[in-house]
Amino acid sequence: MSKSINSLFALLTLIIFTACSSVQITEEAVGDQSVAGVSITSKSPANQAILANAVVYFGYDQSNLTSKSIQALKGVTELMKRNSKITISIEGHADERGTREYNLALGQRRAESVADYLVANGINRNRLITKSYGEERPLSLGSNDTAWSKNRRVEIK
Amino acid sequence: MKKNLVLVALLLVPTLSQGELFLEITKGSEDPYKVAMIPFEGNKRVSKQLNNIMRNDLIRTGEFSILDEELLLPVKIIDDELVLSDWKLLGMDYLVTGTILNANNSLDINYEIYDIHKKRKVRSSKVFGIPNQIRQLAHYTSDGIYESITGIKGIAATRLLYVNEIKDSQLISTYKLMLADSDGANEKILLSSSEPIISPSWSPDGKRVAYVSFETGIAKVFIQDIASGEREAVLSKDTQISSPSWSPDGKYLSLTLYQDGNAEIYILRLRDRTLTRMTNQFAIDTESSWSPKGNKILFTSGRSGSPQIYELDLRKLNPKAKRISFEGTYNAKASYLPKEEGIIFVHRSNDGLFHIALKYKKENFIRVLTEAKMDESPSVAPNGNMVIYGIKEQNLSMLAGFSLSGAKFKLPASNGEVREPAWSNFLR
Repeated sequence: MSKSINSLFALLTLIIFTACSSVQITEEAVGDQSVAGVSITSKSPANQAILANAVVYFGYDQSNLTSKSIQALKGVTELMKRNSKITISIEGHADERGTREYNLALGQRRAESVADYLVANGINRNRLITKSYGEERPLSLGSNDTAWSKNRRVEIK
Repeated sequence: MKKNLVLVALLLVPTLSQGELFLEITKGSEDPYKVAMIPFEGNKRVSKQLNNIMRNDLIRTGEFSILDEELLLPVKIIDDELVLSDWKLLGMDYLVTGTILNANNSLDINYEIYDIHKKRKVRSSKVFGIPNQIRQLAHYTSDGIYESITGIKGIAATRLLYVNEIKDSQLISTYKLMLADSDGANEKILLSSSEPIISPSWSPDGKRVAYVSFETGIAKVFIQDIASGEREAVLSKDTQISSPSWSPDGKYLSLTLYQDGNAEIYILRLRDRTLTRMTNQFAIDTESSWSPKGNKILFTSGRSGSPQIYELDLRKLNPKAKRISFEGTYNAKASYLPKEEGIIFVHRSNDGLFHIALKYKKENFIRVLTEAKMDESPSVAPNGNMVIYGIKEQNLSMLAGFSLSGAKFKLPASNGEVREPAWSNFLR
């Protein structure tokens, strides 16, 4: 049915309450339901040749760095100092527990913690891109402590 | 009138077809309306299809028990009056009759509702459309029946948004933003993407949707017109943008922006894309949602050390956030009930499991309403009588729902996983 006919029907829609009988009398046309779908394929941005590949892990609901993460980040700091041109992407992730939007924000805090550490150790903030995937990109599928601990992470690329 | 609905439900559980909701009524209303629905006169095939859809619509509310078709009596008419006394003997409260007329490419349904106790007709209605709109015609009819009997607007003719993730053999995911009727049928793809999609939100008129897509490599909010497929990013900013919620007048979107690295809530005026910052706090502030009158927003904040629900009064200048959840260490993703009589939210229990909970304004305790392990993303139907949410079963996410009167239903994905449901406003 064309849209115009439908809106005409909508205008004709009547709701009449007849006073004496108190029978509710109505007449209505069903609405238009046309839908157009969209398909997108995104290309991931091309990766740079030298990567500071590192992953640091976090406690449940936590965004503070552990001493183990700091060890890993020392390597990243060194690498960035040696290659003053590279910029890195710091991607925060969360495990599946909790709400998706809160986890997106938590992933971002984890990424910011890593960025803060690097900045405190002499790396220019302009060389760091922080972002979060929240719980949308788990590394390990499964709903158990082992999987969750692998998923609460920041990936440095 | 009192009878065990479970028994009736067992007789009426529909055959499970792809995409349609699977009804699992564990407990209905203590005192359901008992309705005899005579198959509508006219084309047998159409009549049967209508009848099935309408029965499911009404049973899903948890407030109805529909007499089994085999137990129906013949309709007797004496002196132009329908004889109601026999139906009274069967313990029925209401009788529904109807006719189907298919002419000139228009399908007309005329139906009448009789109140058996008051011995009179209470409604006489017509719905019409083109023949391939049969599901919609059935939902409109169900809503008419529901409204006449309960006095509350029905939600059969509303629609759902949700996200479907399908992994291929190499575990590469495709994410789809889906649209379906309130019973899960009539599924349509709004967006298909190789990157995650989260947080779909309806415009109040049901014509547009807002959602978060990661297609550019970071979270961004897009608005898409359902009929034309036209879409655009709401802001051209470089920053992550997430968690859209449409104001009830359709003029604003509340959003979470990460422009200073931390999640903060802003209100975007759509007309000129001006932004007003609503929170300024070192902790996470996100998951905003509007009150039905548009004068307040709820949001989740980590400012107390754990996620809790806060309320902002938008009528005040520089409003101060008021904490409104106190039980437990994780309360998030809240939304108001349609009359603002309470909020529905995600609550972590002491055992570490996540459930959907309800808190009425006038009560000082919360009601935990679900019992799976990882319940999330509750969305309340526009009449406030039903909630749809995400669950996880055997590592697969799917949708489940309940009516506040006790009916429960599930919507397993026909393929892959489904999550992030969003219930539309009334569409008729």
